[in-house]
Amino acid sequence: MKVTRPLLVVGAGIAGVTAALEAAEAGAEVILVEREPTIGGRVLRSHSYFPKMCPPTCGMEINIRRLESNLRIRVVAAAQVAAAEPTADGWKVTLAIAPAFVNGRCTACGDCEQACTTEVADPFNLGMSTVKAIRLPHLHAWPRRYVFDRTACSEDEARAIAASCRYDAIDLAATPTTETLEVGAVVLATGWRPYPSDRLPELGGGLPDVIANVEMERLASPSGPTRGAILRPSDGRPPARVAFIQCAGSRDVNHLPYCSSVCCLASLKQATYVKEQLPEAEVTIYYIDRRTPGRNEDLLRKVAALQGVRLVKGKVGRVEPSAGLLRLRVEDVEAERIVEAEADLVVLATGMVPSAVGDPMPLFTRTDEDGFALDDPAAGITVAGVARRPEDVASSVRDATGAAARAIAAAARGR
Amino acid sequence: MDRIGAVLCSGCGIGDAVDLDAVAKAAAGSGAAATLIHGCCCSADGLQAIRDAVTERGLDGVVVAACSERAKRAEFASLGFDAAGMARVALREHCTWSHPAGDDDTRLLAEDLVRMGVARVKNGSPIRPLSPEVSDTVLVVGAGRAGLEAAKTVAGMGHPVVMVERSGLLGGHLASQKSVLPEEPPYDRPHDNPMPGLIADITSCSGITVLTGTTIDAIAGQPGQFRVRLSGPSGRELAVGAIVQATGARPYDARKLHHLGYGASPDVVTSHELEAMLVAGQVVCPSTGAPPQRVLFVQCAGSRDDNHLRYCSSDCCTATLRQAYELRTIDAAVEIAVVYRDLRAPGHMEHLFNGVQRMAGMMMTRGDVEAVAVVGKPSVQIANSLLGERAVVDTDLVVLAVGMVPNAADGELVRKLHDARRDAEHGESAPVRADAARLVGELAAHDGTEILQLGYRQGPDLPVLAYGYPDSHFICFPYETRRTGIHAAGTTRAPMDSAQAAEDGAGAAMKAVQCIAMARRGEAVHPRAGDRAVPDFYLQRCTQCKRCTEECPFGTLDEDAKGTPELKELRCRRCGLCMGSCPERIINFPDYSVPMVADMIKAIEVPEDFEGKPRILALMCENDAVPALEAAAANGASWNPWVRVIPIRCLGSVNIVWIAEALSRGVDGVILIGCARGDDYQCHFIRGSELANTRLGNVGETLQRLALEPERIKVVELSHAEFDRVPRLLDDFASSLAALGPNPMKGL
Amino acid sequence: MASTPAIHPSADFLKAFARQGGGAAARCYQCAACSSVCELAPAGAPFPRRQVLWAQWGLIERLLADPGPWLCHQCNDCSLRCPRDVAPGDLMAAVRATVVERLAVPAFLGGLVGNARRTWALLVLLPIAFWLALLAATTGLVAPEIHADMAPLEGRFHYEEVVPHFLIYIVFTAATLWVLIAVWSSGRRFWRMLGAGARREGSFFGSLIPVVIEIATHRRFARCERGVPKRRWGHFLLMWGFVGAALTSAILVVYMYGFGRYPLPLDHWVKWLGNLSAVILVAGGTLLYANRLVPGDRLAGATSAADRFFLFTVLGVIATGVITELLRFVAVPPAAAALAYVLHLGIVLTLFLIFPYSKFAHLVYRTLAMVHERMARLTTA
Repeated sequence: MKVTRPLLVVGAGIAGVTAALEAAEAGAEVILVEREPTIGGRVLRSHSYFPKMCPPTCGMEINIRRLESNLRIRVVAAAQVAAAEPTADGWKVTLAIAPAFVNGRCTACGDCEQACTTEVADPFNLGMSTVKAIRLPHLHAWPRRYVFDRTACSEDEARAIAASCRYDAIDLAATPTTETLEVGAVVLATGWRPYPSDRLPELGGGLPDVIANVEMERLASPSGPTRGAILRPSDGRPPARVAFIQCAGSRDVNHLPYCSSVCCLASLKQATYVKEQLPEAEVTIYYIDRRTPGRNEDLLRKVAALQGVRLVKGKVGRVEPSAGLLRLRVEDVEAERIVEAEADLVVLATGMVPSAVGDPMPLFTRTDEDGFALDDPAAGITVAGVARRPEDVASSVRDATGAAARAIAAAARGR
Repeated sequence: MDRIGAVLCSGCGIGDAVDLDAVAKAAAGSGAAATLIHGCCCSADGLQAIRDAVTERGLDGVVVAACSERAKRAEFASLGFDAAGMARVALREHCTWSHPAGDDDTRLLAEDLVRMGVARVKNGSPIRPLSPEVSDTVLVVGAGRAGLEAAKTVAGMGHPVVMVERSGLLGGHLASQKSVLPEEPPYDRPHDNPMPGLIADITSCSGITVLTGTTIDAIAGQPGQFRVRLSGPSGRELAVGAIVQATGARPYDARKLHHLGYGASPDVVTSHELEAMLVAGQVVCPSTGAPPQRVLFVQCAGSRDDNHLRYCSSDCCTATLRQAYELRTIDAAVEIAVVYRDLRAPGHMEHLFNGVQRMAGMMMTRGDVEAVAVVGKPSVQIANSLLGERAVVDTDLVVLAVGMVPNAADGELVRKLHDARRDAEHGESAPVRADAARLVGELAAHDGTEILQLGYRQGPDLPVLAYGYPDSHFICFPYETRRTGIHAAGTTRAPMDSAQAAEDGAGAAMKAVQCIAMARRGEAVHPRAGDRAVPDFYLQRCTQCKRCTEECPFGTLDEDAKGTPELKELRCRRCGLCMGSCPERIINFPDYSVPMVADMIKAIEVPEDFEGKPRILALMCENDAVPALEAAAANGASWNPWVRVIPIRCLGSVNIVWIAEALSRGVDGVILIGCARGDDYQCHFIRGSELANTRLGNVGETLQRLALEPERIKVVELSHAEFDRVPRLLDDFASSLAALGPNPMKGL
Repeated sequence: MASTPAIHPSADFLKAFARQGGGAAARCYQCAACSSVCELAPAGAPFPRRQVLWAQWGLIERLLADPGPWLCHQCNDCSLRCPRDVAPGDLMAAVRATVVERLAVPAFLGGLVGNARRTWALLVLLPIAFWLALLAATTGLVAPEIHADMAPLEGRFHYEEVVPHFLIYIVFTAATLWVLIAVWSSGRRFWRMLGAGARREGSFFGSLIPVVIEIATHRRFARCERGVPKRRWGHFLLMWGFVGAALTSAILVVYMYGFGRYPLPLDHWVKWLGNLSAVILVAGGTLLYANRLVPGDRLAGATSAADRFFLFTVLGVIATGVITELLRFVAVPPAAAALAYVLHLGIVLTLFLIFPYSKFAHLVYRTLAMVHERMARLTTA
């Protein structure tokens, strides 16, 4: 394989990390750009993967080892592509890099955290809990370096925090920087964000005990806001009845016209979270179609067989609070009757929105009506993961591996 | 290594928590030629201090007792030692963050940890990387969509490709399809069949040699150095570096679907038979030759069915939508009914579903088709349908959306069959021959299913997982089959649609090319990517017990006639399962060996008296259990201070002798913490946890012979995420040992 | 299994149904969001999901025999929420239209009115022509004479001189009888079909009374989340307008023969009642029409040709009625007033005759469906 100009991988979620690693281990030079200060993206916010119920951090542990032991990859975190212009044989890309208030000397010893009193909403826990303004973003953060919400702290506190560091790792004078790169080809792996629940008021979006599936992942995770206990946000009590509402926004011309592919399996998986913690709890999953393709069918069988888990065909029409619980109105299609069900906790299986929607980025030369990006071989641009299509982790990885190959080929061609 | 320096970091509060001078003494006592204490080893200044010490004292190895090896990896790598020359001892995570500062036990723990580090480097020997001659050629087996896409992608990356196809034609099933699922926006109608174009690209590409009507006679060798003998017209020999198996899938045999009327009426056809009519441009009822007014599609014909295929074949729903569209374009008047269980059109395919439904006259219902009566016109009997408990729908033509079955052989069972055949003939005793003969009967179905014809000790094809798919079933690493350098792709790997098969081909191509590159650099592939240490077999002492050759999850070892292992190092993934399996302890790595860990255990100081001071050995998987423990420490958790943790590559690499060593030295108990085993195993070496469990099951009676309670040994499964659980695990084990009382072998 | 009736999707029905505005049924993927949001769907017999499925499969028999479409008041909450843009609300309207057409006695009249898009001219002109012919054949076409002796509030002449009352009584009594027979036989068929699948309890009239009260107050309309108030009050006014108009005509007859008073002066309370009814009708009609004007508004729903024709007929009756009355006082040639009068009688006759085949019919079908709902305990079943 002829090693050519470096590849640019935009986004260091599971797809981006995979594309970067596969290409680099094959001998390509890779620059991996991530908007957040640490890599891992959405997958690290999941408690476990279906269908094997294994933790995302396990695979990421291996990927981080691969990343660190491979000198062909350069990771630029807390950076975004600000501009890009085509060249004769690739792209000239300008990165905008956020100020590094905490630099590479950081040992993650935690002294600064002690010196910090200001708490902010924890983005890793989707704002369901608070953290110090200076902190390690999460337990397995990589780069293993603290981040500092400088604006959240007063000047005095900031100075105190800086003074607390024994390794001269905090630089209050840090400023935004830019960097220009010449790359041979590009892999877009910018991923997704969850469809906002508050766009679904009829399904109770916005009510305290109506949470999104992504929030359920945090609730179930030992590193989550409740240290892994599944509790109602409103009163902190364990729910006795949990209702999952499928296609919350997906497959709907009024919201997302496509199927988000993962929500059925995610809810089945989350049903097992509930049953493992609260064996007595009643779980009901309201669905349109149970989409568990391939061998994921086994998970559907497994969960459907669980005591106290019901799958009901019917899209919920209304979710309303009533005396501390939630009332659902839905037609049970198989029974051909309207039921008024009660639940203590409702989980909306909200779909995936490609990150590029409402946030135009350079290098997105081809996108469809839903905002998903498409390969543009002529421009040396390939797309991987959910930036291209709603899909699960395994598919994203498969997809990203192929994208790495297409990118190498494009770079070899010189576009 | 002989001259070892012990570098102690006092940063991150380590210096405040333990008396590092005492620890330094311990290091020196255990044979460190030099010791150095620095306030921040990972700083430029600290690293320079270490470099200076190394040159001044002529050190060939260092122990860096600071933070976990998972932190500051790049910084310490810059010291230039290989994996055998440097040991990182996690004083911070395993000792000072997790145990009370200034406490005696904390100091003892630190001293033991450093001694263990010294022992580790002492036992290391320099790594001599391989630099083998490798072939750049990639062999692609099967010329369906995945295979063609793989060939095209490999060629695109500048590698030569040899493509073999059993049949006389390229393109597989897809070649004879009217169209494929939408691959471009707006995704609401079928996409022109890309195969003609793809085939043209392949045949016109100079880098790709296409051999049709060709099968494989034999594959020998290893990644980078496979030797392939082909049968068929070409009948040639070739050297290839890596292999992509894209042998596709076949339709499920509809003749097994009597209840759906197949065979009973000519007007019940499979989706593939309908496709042929669509291609011909004329769809008719075979019985009359007249075009049907009503066509009814039966979904899940043989899929999601305990009596047939338990899994979902993934593309039948969307294929039906596509065929409905094509049917309607041929005959705008035809009424199309679809009976499905769940209409599975994921992602963009929802647009196809919507688009097809917007064609008037689509009738769809959920339901279970119980039977198709075929007296005269077919009438379809549906249960639990939306049309009612029971419904009967009359139609002119019934189309069965049949599922897919992988074209793959179960390498391990084929091997079993071959062995059984041999034993049935030459078994030493009559009962052995009888058993073997019975086994031959049971496995008859696998006779002649070979595809790759690998000359591997563990069988001629890839091992399979659930439902006969040769898939690693990893989520994070979908291409990591159990035969290094051989990558399954497309519908032979998992049920998928044509677009996914194309991506899969490209992905497998990436892995094949990557494997060649890593073989050339003498590096291991996933999961220990980049590891350049190779195991050494001291064969003079080999007893031909064959444990290693049978237990290697990756088929790395072949056997000579006598049963002596033959290492094919480029297949090796460096898991060390062979090292764990060997009763003679003759398999070792330069940076990880039986004596190394044994000496690390010896380095643990075991107090003669039990007075509240037992010692506990924890052998923990370095990829999952150890990170969990360190996360716990970072989270402020603490655990029993008498536990001594040794990170290991995999539970499967644990050699029983280590446990014997520990117990004989008076260690009160040994806990092994590794990854999940079983169907949903999480072990990255597939069988590591499984093997450890069986091996330890066998030491039970050995212990009793030594008058030791089996409870002194415990195997636990722990996932990477369970940082909240791991300290509890250690404490509980400690208290259970306290209940048992001291190890009677103490101080003997 | 043998007992199970075979399903025969009917392509012809699907075509006809598409004409009525039910073409979108094919798009439905049966998620049941529609029935789940519907406030009126009885728990035991939800709509409109099943009806959409039946329409998709062309199961006309089930649609005809189902109370759902009549219990639906088309607030279009469902159309608003439908993820596939099927507009189930309009689909239910299409089903109602289909039922009216299919159950019509005699059938051909159902078709005639159902196809108003093409037949409206015929439906309007025929009755007018009939009146002209009738007059020509009997009293002859004469303009009334101006009576200078009449009190100003009594107008300038008597319409009696143009169309003798006895003719009006004969024609409209006949028409009324005809309508009653037609409605009765269609209604009976419908009632039997409804009953076929269900077990009813209690007496018909026992259930009818609460239903009538419910209708009188339009309580059901209020239960729809959206779609109110425009639709609710428009329909409410229209209904009471008609009741008022009917009363007026009845009382007039009583006065004429009971007290021999004719014509009544304009300030007489019966006249006031009539005029008030007219005003209410106009207000209601306009509200409903305005409600449909917003193009593409899913809440408004689609308007079929038959709907539009019916609405215009009603407005026509009112308009011609008012004009006719005014012309008695305005100094125009009495001949013109006479013509207006005949036009008025013509359109009124149209309205009478299309009663069993037009929107009017829902007065019967919906009432029966609501009675059935109670007797079959659908809300709890």
